[in-house]
Amino acid sequence: MIPWSSFVQKAQSLIDPANFNIPSLSSPDGTPSKATLFRQQFRLPDSQNPLQEITADLVLPLPNSSSGSGEGSRRVDRAGNRYTGRLHLSERFICFSTQPTSFLPSATTSASTNFTGQTHGTGPSGNGFTLPLSCIRRVERLHSASHVFSLALTTWNGLLNKQQEPNFTPQRLILQLVGSRQACERFCDTLKKGLREGMKEVDNLRLVVTDCYSEYLLSGAKTKALETGEGDGRQPPDAGLGMLFRYPGDARKLRDRSKMRLWGEYFRENGRNATLVRQPTFHKLIRVGLPNRLRGEIWELASGSLFLRIRSPKLYQETLAKFEGQESLAIDEIEKDLNRSLPEYPGFQSEEGISRLRRVLTAYSWTNAEIGYCQAMNIVVAALLIYMSEAQAFFLLSVLCDRLVPGYYSTTMYGTLLDQKVFESLVEKTMPVLWEHLTKTDVQLSVVSLPWFLSLYINSMPLVFAFRVLDVFFLEGPKVLFQVGLAILRINGEELLDVQDDGSFISILKTYFSRLDESAHPRSENPKLRAITRFQELMVVAFKEFSGITHSTIEEQREKHKGAVLENIENFAKRTSIRNLGPESKRLSVDDLGTIYDRFYETLYQWQQQQNILEEERKRQEKKKSERLSILGPPADREVGRVGLGPSPTHMDYNAFREFMAATAKWAVSDSPAASRSDSSSGFGSLKGNNKSLLWANRRQPADHEFMQRLYRKWASDPEEGLSLQNVVNGLARLKGSPDIMNNINYFFDLFDDNGNGQVDREGILKISEAFLFLSRRGFDGTINATQSLEDLNSPRDRDHAEQNTLTTEERFLGSVSAFIRRCFEYADPSHPENRKASLQDATAEATDKLESFAIGDDEEDLIDVDDSKPTQPAESNTTHKPSESSSGEPARPRSESANPALDPNNPLHITLPTFRMVILADELLEQFFESYFPQSFHLSDHPHPASLAASSSLSSNLTTFSNIGSARPSNLSSAGSVSVGAPGGIVPPGKGLRGVLDNIVTDGIRMAAEVKKRMDEAQRDLERNALGRDEDDDEDEDDDELRRDSTAAAAMAGGISSWGAGAYGADMERRSVRDADRDLLEGAEVLSVREKGEGSSLLDGKEDTETKSQNGSKGAGASSSPHDSEVVSKVVEFES
Amino acid sequence: MSESAGANAPKPSSSVKLVLLGEAAVGKSSLVLRFVNNDFQENKEPTIGAAFLTQKCSLPTRTIKFEIWDTAGQERFASLAPMYYRNAQAALVVYDVTKPSSLTKAKHWVAELQRQASPGIVIALVGNKLDLTNDGGDSSAAAAAEAESEPTSGEGEDNAAGEGEEQDTASGDSRKVSTREASSYADEEGLLFFETSAKTGANVVDVFTAIANAIPESSLKTGRGGAGTGQTALGGRSGDDSRVNLGDRNAATAKEGCAC
Repeated sequence: MIPWSSFVQKAQSLIDPANFNIPSLSSPDGTPSKATLFRQQFRLPDSQNPLQEITADLVLPLPNSSSGSGEGSRRVDRAGNRYTGRLHLSERFICFSTQPTSFLPSATTSASTNFTGQTHGTGPSGNGFTLPLSCIRRVERLHSASHVFSLALTTWNGLLNKQQEPNFTPQRLILQLVGSRQACERFCDTLKKGLREGMKEVDNLRLVVTDCYSEYLLSGAKTKALETGEGDGRQPPDAGLGMLFRYPGDARKLRDRSKMRLWGEYFRENGRNATLVRQPTFHKLIRVGLPNRLRGEIWELASGSLFLRIRSPKLYQETLAKFEGQESLAIDEIEKDLNRSLPEYPGFQSEEGISRLRRVLTAYSWTNAEIGYCQAMNIVVAALLIYMSEAQAFFLLSVLCDRLVPGYYSTTMYGTLLDQKVFESLVEKTMPVLWEHLTKTDVQLSVVSLPWFLSLYINSMPLVFAFRVLDVFFLEGPKVLFQVGLAILRINGEELLDVQDDGSFISILKTYFSRLDESAHPRSENPKLRAITRFQELMVVAFKEFSGITHSTIEEQREKHKGAVLENIENFAKRTSIRNLGPESKRLSVDDLGTIYDRFYETLYQWQQQQNILEEERKRQEKKKSERLSILGPPADREVGRVGLGPSPTHMDYNAFREFMAATAKWAVSDSPAASRSDSSSGFGSLKGNNKSLLWANRRQPADHEFMQRLYRKWASDPEEGLSLQNVVNGLARLKGSPDIMNNINYFFDLFDDNGNGQVDREGILKISEAFLFLSRRGFDGTINATQSLEDLNSPRDRDHAEQNTLTTEERFLGSVSAFIRRCFEYADPSHPENRKASLQDATAEATDKLESFAIGDDEEDLIDVDDSKPTQPAESNTTHKPSESSSGEPARPRSESANPALDPNNPLHITLPTFRMVILADELLEQFFESYFPQSFHLSDHPHPASLAASSSLSSNLTTFSNIGSARPSNLSSAGSVSVGAPGGIVPPGKGLRGVLDNIVTDGIRMAAEVKKRMDEAQRDLERNALGRDEDDDEDEDDDELRRDSTAAAAMAGGISSWGAGAYGADMERRSVRDADRDLLEGAEVLSVREKGEGSSLLDGKEDTETKSQNGSKGAGASSSPHDSEVVSKVVEFES
Repeated sequence: MSESAGANAPKPSSSVKLVLLGEAAVGKSSLVLRFVNNDFQENKEPTIGAAFLTQKCSLPTRTIKFEIWDTAGQERFASLAPMYYRNAQAALVVYDVTKPSSLTKAKHWVAELQRQASPGIVIALVGNKLDLTNDGGDSSAAAAAEAESEPTSGEGEDNAAGEGEEQDTASGDSRKVSTREASSYADEEGLLFFETSAKTGANVVDVFTAIANAIPESSLKTGRGGAGTGQTALGGRSGDDSRVNLGDRNAATAKEGCAC
């Protein structure tokens, strides 16, 4: 005996996959955590973590009926059976397994999940036990002579029932720890702590255990009841619908009674339900098929769902009660299928069966709203309910969906598709000839095999056989489905080789399934051979011939195909989703929609990843102990949020929207990356202080501006809920979809029409101007040109005003904005509906209407004159005062007439849409702003800007950092889109060089608008105080003395704001740059690290590029591959010279 | 198996892969059941993934054997659909005339097929549950079959002939999708269009006959997939034998519906 077993041990160590160097195909983040492996191995709930582990010997008392066989590592000595293995301790469980298990952090699935590997007699978890600590009644330290550290565990086995069982001996497990004294002590300390906690759960345990049929079976007198089939005295616990409607199959033929006796004996010797110890017989008993009344209990024990039930015994009833009367889509779907679930089984022709099924499916759909209900679950649950109570089925379903067949029933069914791919590749590998034939004849295997997996063979095979498969499946895991599937094809291989189409393929298999109970060798002389059924043959082929198919094989294959499968699903989802966007979306091209779609989900995905990281960080800090809401909790290493994986977030909040916009329009990128190299130490300080900034530091910073908030609110149908893809598409379609300038102007006006009454007040006018500056602060990319086309911008051949070109469009735009404000106030209507004013208003409205209809031409011309003259002057002389002089000179009339009422707080005013339109159309640049720049600033599928490409390269390298943290999206996904994700917005390089100067000007302009507003308020206060005692001009002078730059704005404001732009850049440049640096220090210091790390090279390239270009005489902006960069640079060069 | 096929001189026989798509509970499986078994069941086994059935349709010049893939309607099964419509030569996109959303879904499927399925696929748009409307209320399949020839014929031509049994709504007409709306859409997209009732059998066989007629001869010759001409012919014949117990024997519908 001993030599034999040692030989076996040696052999086992040889075939232990851990000793092979199997090349793992899984990606780095595909490596499951130690805790995950540990939980998988012992089928523990997700709340459990491995705390302690130690080598130990398990000594079991010699059973009364010695059914010894030389199995594995078992040695029979005087004390009983002895197993050597590893003892593990988690928060609430003590587990022992003879399987070599090591949960090193570096462990891969293939190395450490061999528990579901080859099952020669030992099966998963080997021999040993998984005991909830609450099951342990007493732990004694044994003083043995051999100086080994021995513990004796006495369990509650059989003692939780009030009645004393006949011939009962308490279960006592002897564990001899092998390790240093310290290690043993440490283990015992943790155990002690756990036991104290465990005591709280004894009541739960009692509740659950008394429901177990095994308890009923062992409580002596009931054996008789079992034999008669009727319970006398105590009511037998619910062992499924089978007790009421008979179990499928012929109990005699299944030898149900003798199986029951064997299990009874096993329970008596090795404990039952929660206290069961796995010895080789356990695995054998499962292989021969479970007896009907114990089937449910063993299923839940083998799958680990029993532990979930012990944890929260009332969850099922509570869930039902909590959601009683509520409705959901899932419930509608469930209702449709209730009558179609195993309809041939009598139990489901009765209301009793139907309502059990309804309750279990409904309760599960509530606890796991992500899955809800998927067709095929009805069949699986119906099958479970034949053998188990509702609560048992509920928890088992949960384990199924979360662990055994992950993703099978998700909303995208990615698990199903993935496993079909895995199955196909296994067929190809193990049966190449058949595979080749199928490929040649174009028979699609998965079409046939998909229902096998999805409904766990339940509606493919006759029920009795499907349940036999399930017996093994719950113990050994998903690989069983593959083994059986392969065996089916292998056995029918020859016939299948004749097949030419799907029809005959299906037909052959159907016939085979219907004859599973027939003899596999009907013509054999040997009666024993004749007695072997086709099903037995199937099992033998599945588990012997395909014993090489292990859990790790499956995991590897899944990892290998996952990317492609998810991509397929996502492409399908994208197609479908874009098609479903409705008529509004037709205004955008399919490419644009595709880009929006990709960017939308990419943003959501990234956003969620960050939230997850934040969340984990938070949890780590809090050392959160409370249990998760979901029964098992979401698997830790799941890429939550990926479209292909199932329900992902469908709405983005304002922050995610900012991210989205930053990827879409460059004005939505924050100015912070443009920060100068400010004090880095302060930057790092803020990093530590704020997790969020740590995360954002690696990305382009989305801007936060009032305009974006308005846009968000405008687009959202419900700002609380967030933006759906539909909202975003509609919003963009509205802006980009029509080339109509009026449409864009109207839309813009609507954005600022807070009350929806068609009026924008003084505040709003300033907000609009701020928005203009915000939107334009990164330049126009050549979409706007003052009466010049792109080509002749630098060759002013047919322009009289050559000096115009010394001004960039951006600078001139500032002038336009100031003119805008001026004109708005000029043409604004008073808001107070006094009689006189109301009539005035009408008159004005009329006038503006008229203007709009036919007088625009004149008006425009007139105003353009003003406009043209204005910016030219500051270019001639870069002084601060000159522009203001000129402005005070020429537009004297408007100042006196309109600026005063504009500043008069007692004179609230507003502009209407017609006025707004008129004012916009009056200015060439503003007109172009709405005609081309604004709609075009939303970059969709058109070619991204080179600058943004550079940014994206740095971005993607940053994303790699994310992937190291948790989960990365395969890069092929992002490249699949027509535009590289996250790129298009474009980052303006940090504020060095000429670009930076310009940026600063624009940024300053924005700030100035704010200042103007502030000053207006001040002015208002002043006016109130002084009761119009002072003149605005005085005010202006004073300010000028105090703050020169600000005063420029104020002066411009007071003086009709004619020369804002000129004033802005004409002001003291040095001083401004200093101020800017200061501001950057506050705002975006943390970006420094990004720039240094991520963007370094690309930015350098960009800089070189710009330098070369500027040396080249700054021409050919149109032909250049980077029109944006070169154009701006060239202009700035001119401006400087 | 249609006996008529055997009775006549052997006609060229070819198989056509047909896929049924459409929103859940529009009656896809029921249409197939009506066509294949001339039967109607309230509670059918659910369609997991897809159900496979065959039925022959005998045309004057040839015999078409439909290999019908009846897909599951639940929304999440949609991502499995490409697996089933792959290589399909014909598709039945089904909606429910009492449920406007199902027509929307049907349009999506049509768009999906036009873009993703094999080129030249014959698509029929089928509005089912005609028995719930006034114009389809008669439970006599024969009567409906006579009346069907004009799918666009006005509504309510024979009101309430036999609807009393099934209809307990006051109005008696649950139609929410007008024939005109659907048929004009079908015209635009170049689809065959029918309104049917799997329950009464109205128009069901006609749909399949029309599809059989619409399948171009050329695509029949090549058969399905890349099997090659010769093999398909061979496979077609051997398939007949092996599929005897698969396709249902009850070919009554086929006999009366297909012009043979």
